[in-house]
Amino acid sequence: MDPPAETEDPRAAANGENNHVSKKPKLSFITEPEIRQEFAHHKPGIARINNGSFGSCPASIIAAQKRWQLRFLQQPDDFFFNHLQRKILHSRTIVKDLINADHVDEVSIVDNATTAAAIVLQHVGWAFADGRFQKGDAVVMLHCAFQAVKKSIEAYVTRAGGSVIVVHLPFPVNSNEEIIAEFRKGLARGKANGKKVRLAIIDHITSMPCVVIPARELVKICREEGVERVFVDAAHAIGSIPVDVKEIGADFYVSNLHKWFFCPPSVAFLYCRKSPLSPDLHHPVVSHEYGNGLAIESAWIGTRDYSSQLVVPDVLEFINRFEGGLEGIRKRNHDAVVEMGEMLAKAWGTNLGSPPEMCPSMVMIGLPSRMGVLSDDDALKLRTHLRDHFGLEVPIHFQMPRDGEIRAADGDGCITGYARISHQVYNTLDDYVRLRDAINQLLSDGVACKMLQRE
Amino acid sequence: MASPQPLNGATPKPKPITPSEISAEFSHHDPTIARINNGSFGCCPSTIIAAQQNHQLYFLEQPDNFYFNILKPSILKTRQIIKTLINADHVEEISIVDNATTAAAIVLQHTTWSFFSTLFQPGDAAIMLHYAYGAVKKSVQAYITRAGGHVIEVHLPFPLKSNSEIIVEFRKALQMGKANGRKIRLAVIDHITSMPSVIIPVKELVQMCRDEGVGRIFIDAAHAIGNVNIDVKDIGADFYTSNLHKWFFCPPSAAFLYCKMSDELSDLHHPVVSHEYGNGLAMESAWIGTRDYSPQLVVPEAMEFVSRFEGGIEGIMRRNHKKVVEMADMLAEAWGTELGTPPDMCSSMAMVGMPACLGIKSDADALKLRTHLRVCFGVEVPIYYRAPVEGEIDPITGYARISHQVYNTVEDYYRFREAVNKLVKDGVNCTLLPLCEGYAQLLQMLLKSSLPVLCISYCSAVDV
Repeated sequence: MDPPAETEDPRAAANGENNHVSKKPKLSFITEPEIRQEFAHHKPGIARINNGSFGSCPASIIAAQKRWQLRFLQQPDDFFFNHLQRKILHSRTIVKDLINADHVDEVSIVDNATTAAAIVLQHVGWAFADGRFQKGDAVVMLHCAFQAVKKSIEAYVTRAGGSVIVVHLPFPVNSNEEIIAEFRKGLARGKANGKKVRLAIIDHITSMPCVVIPARELVKICREEGVERVFVDAAHAIGSIPVDVKEIGADFYVSNLHKWFFCPPSVAFLYCRKSPLSPDLHHPVVSHEYGNGLAIESAWIGTRDYSSQLVVPDVLEFINRFEGGLEGIRKRNHDAVVEMGEMLAKAWGTNLGSPPEMCPSMVMIGLPSRMGVLSDDDALKLRTHLRDHFGLEVPIHFQMPRDGEIRAADGDGCITGYARISHQVYNTLDDYVRLRDAINQLLSDGVACKMLQRE
Repeated sequence: MASPQPLNGATPKPKPITPSEISAEFSHHDPTIARINNGSFGCCPSTIIAAQQNHQLYFLEQPDNFYFNILKPSILKTRQIIKTLINADHVEEISIVDNATTAAAIVLQHTTWSFFSTLFQPGDAAIMLHYAYGAVKKSVQAYITRAGGHVIEVHLPFPLKSNSEIIVEFRKALQMGKANGRKIRLAVIDHITSMPSVIIPVKELVQMCRDEGVGRIFIDAAHAIGNVNIDVKDIGADFYTSNLHKWFFCPPSAAFLYCKMSDELSDLHHPVVSHEYGNGLAMESAWIGTRDYSPQLVVPEAMEFVSRFEGGIEGIMRRNHKKVVEMADMLAEAWGTELGTPPDMCSSMAMVGMPACLGIKSDADALKLRTHLRVCFGVEVPIYYRAPVEGEIDPITGYARISHQVYNTVEDYYRFREAVNKLVKDGVNCTLLPLCEGYAQLLQMLLKSSLPVLCISYCSAVDV
C-alpha cells in the first residue's frame, strides 16, 4: 500500500521550491479545523443530522457564488451576452464527465429534481393530449416516491387520463433481492389487463424511508416488461453513491447537486439519453430559447439568479481537497453513518431499516416502540419536539405495517418509527450521541408521541 | 381628526436620501459603464443585496427551521405588500413567482388544459400584440398553437403619435379575429411593451375585450411596477404580472402574478409541481422544491428603500419619467432625430431615433450596434430595429431605448450622445461593424489596454 498522503509544507509551494514544470505542488488535505471553518455558518448548538433534506454548502462555495452574483449586478448585459451560457456549459461538461454520459447535449441544468419531474411528466401529459398515448396507458411509481413526484403524476398523468401503477417495496428490507422480487411482482400485477406502460419512475435512493434501490436491475426489469421509458429520480445520489448513467441504463436521470454535492441552493442536472426515439422535452417555463433543445432552454428561463449553477467547478476543487476526493467523502460518510446507526440501534435496542450496503450517507434507524410513532402526524410532532427542545435536526418516518406483517419489533412492541440520520463532512460523534440521549431522556420521562403538543 | 402630537414635540421628518448615498447604494455598478438600460435586467441597491444575503444565510444556517417556520410567513408578508400596492382585493389573488416569463407559463398552461379537455375547440383564438416579448410569443406557440389554438397578432404602428392609433388597430384585429364566429379565448396585452417601449392604454383595451366577449385577459406588465401606476381593479384584467427586479429594486429575481378571484382560480397551477399541488396557486408558487427564495423575501426592505426618496415610489417614478424624456429630447435634438412616442406614452424609458446614416437595416445590425456601443464606448443601451414602411423618405430605422433610474446622471446620456456623434462623424455604418462576439471581446481587451481613440479608429477602419 502506498505511503499516506503527502504532508508537504504548503509554504514550500508558495516559495516555489516545489515548482517543477510538469508537476503541480501537492498541498496537504483539508484539515478538521478547516472543515469546521467551511461550515462555521451552520447554527451552533444544533446537531444537524439531516443533510438529506436541504444539503449543505461550504463557505468557500458561498463566496464563489457571491462573486458570480456580484458580476451579474455589476454589468448584467455583459454577463448575459458574454458569460452566462459559457459558464453553464462548463458546469454541464463537468457533470457529464462525473456521471459518465456520452454527450454534453444529454445534460441539462435545472433548479431541482422537482423541476426535472415536471419536465418529464409534462411531456407525458402532452403525449396523452395529442393521442400518442391512449387513455388508461400507465405510469409506474414506487409507493414511497417523493411527494412532489406523486403530485406531479397527479397533475400531468392522471389529469390527462393516464393511470398509475403503484409498486410497494418492503421496509424494513434485508436485501436487494427482496426489492427486485417485489418490483417484478408489482409491475406484472399492474400490467394485468394488457395495460401499456409508458413510463416508470424509480428512485435511486428513496427519500422516506431511505434505501438505496438496485436501480440498474429495476431498469432491466422494466425493459423486459416492455416499459417504454424509465425515469430515475436520484435526487440524493450524486455525492453519496456512485453514479454511472450508462450503466444504469435509464432514459432520464436526475440528481440534486445541492444535497450531497456541496452546491448552494439550488441546482440539479437532468440527464436525457440521446437516441433516435428521444422524446422532445421542454422546460415548462418557455423563453426565446424554446425549440433549441432542453439544455439550452433550461439555461435561460428569464431573468433570474443562475449563480448556483455556475459554481460546479469551484465545488470540484473543494471536493479534491479531501483525501480520495468524492469517492473518499462518500466512503467515509457511509462508514460513519452506519457506525452511528449501529451505535443507536444498540443503545435503543432497535434495528437498522436496511443492511449497510443498502444505506448511502443516510441510515434509517428504528425508534423504540415506546416512543409510539403511530402516524405521520406523530412523526412530525416528534421531529419538531427534537428541534425545539433538544436542538436536534433529524427527520422522523412513520412506517405503516403492511398487511398485518410485523417486520421489526423490540421488547415492547412493533417498531413503526424511524429516524433518518445523515452524515456529511461537518458532522461529529457528538451529534449522534445527543440524539441517543434525547430519545433515552424522552423514554425515561415516559414521553410518547401522543403526549407531544402540536406546535 | 388630527393625530395627537407626541409629548416631546414633533418627530423630525427623516431627510430624503442624498445623491452621495444613492451613489453608495449603487457603487457595485461597473463605474466604466454608462448604464442606460435599466429596463432589461433592473438594478438592486446595496442595502437590499445585504438584506437578501441575510435571508440566504438564515436558510444556510438552519434550513429545516427556515423551511418550517420562516419561509411561508415571509412570502405572505411580501404578498400582502403587493396586494396593497396594486389595489387587489384579496391576498389569495397574489402569487410570487420568478419572473413574468414564469407567469406566462402558468396562465398559458391553464389555457392548454382547456384545449385538452375540449372546453376550447381547435381553432379557438388567442390575441396578442406583435410587439409582445419574445418569451411570451414562444410561450403562446408552446402552449396554444401546439394545443390547436389560433393566434392573432395585432400589428401596432411605430413610431406612434397617440393612444388612439393603438386602440384603432386593436379593435380592427379583434373584429377580424372574431370573423366567422371564431371564439377569442385569451388576450395577452402588454402594459408597457419591451421593444419598442410604449405605454399601452390597457384599461381601454381590456374594456374593448370585454365588450367583444374575449374569454380571459392577461396583462404582461413586466416593466410596470415602480415605473407606472398600477391599479389592477381599475384595469380590470383577469391576470396581471410584473417583475419586481426591474423597477422595484428587488434582486434577481421575483415577480408577482395577480389572478382575479374567480371559479377558475383553483384551476391555475404552477408548472413545477410540489406537495403543495392543489392548495392554490399562491401556495404552490411558494414552494416549488428546494431553492433560494430570498429575492422574494426582501419586498419589505424594498418598500423601506423607496420610502427614503422624496415622494416614495411615486416620486421616483415621476422624476425618472421627467428625466428620461428630458434626456431623450436632448439626444433627439443633438442627432436631428425624434422620439418614437409622445412623452405621455413614455414610462421611465423612451425610444430615441438613431441617425439614419448609421444604416441600421436589421435586428442583427441593431445588436451589432449595441455591442459596439458597449465595447468601444462603455455605453449600455438596447437598440431597436424598425422596418421602414413603403414610401418613407430617409426613415429612422433604429431607436435606442434609454432608461432612467435613480442611479443615472446626465453624464450617462452625454456619453451616449458623444458616442453616436463620433460614429456619425467617422461615417460608421452598421454593415461595417463586426458581428462575432469573439471579435467584440478582442476589442474589449484592446479598449482596456489602449487608448479609446485608437480602438474607435480601428473599428471604423475595418472593412468586413
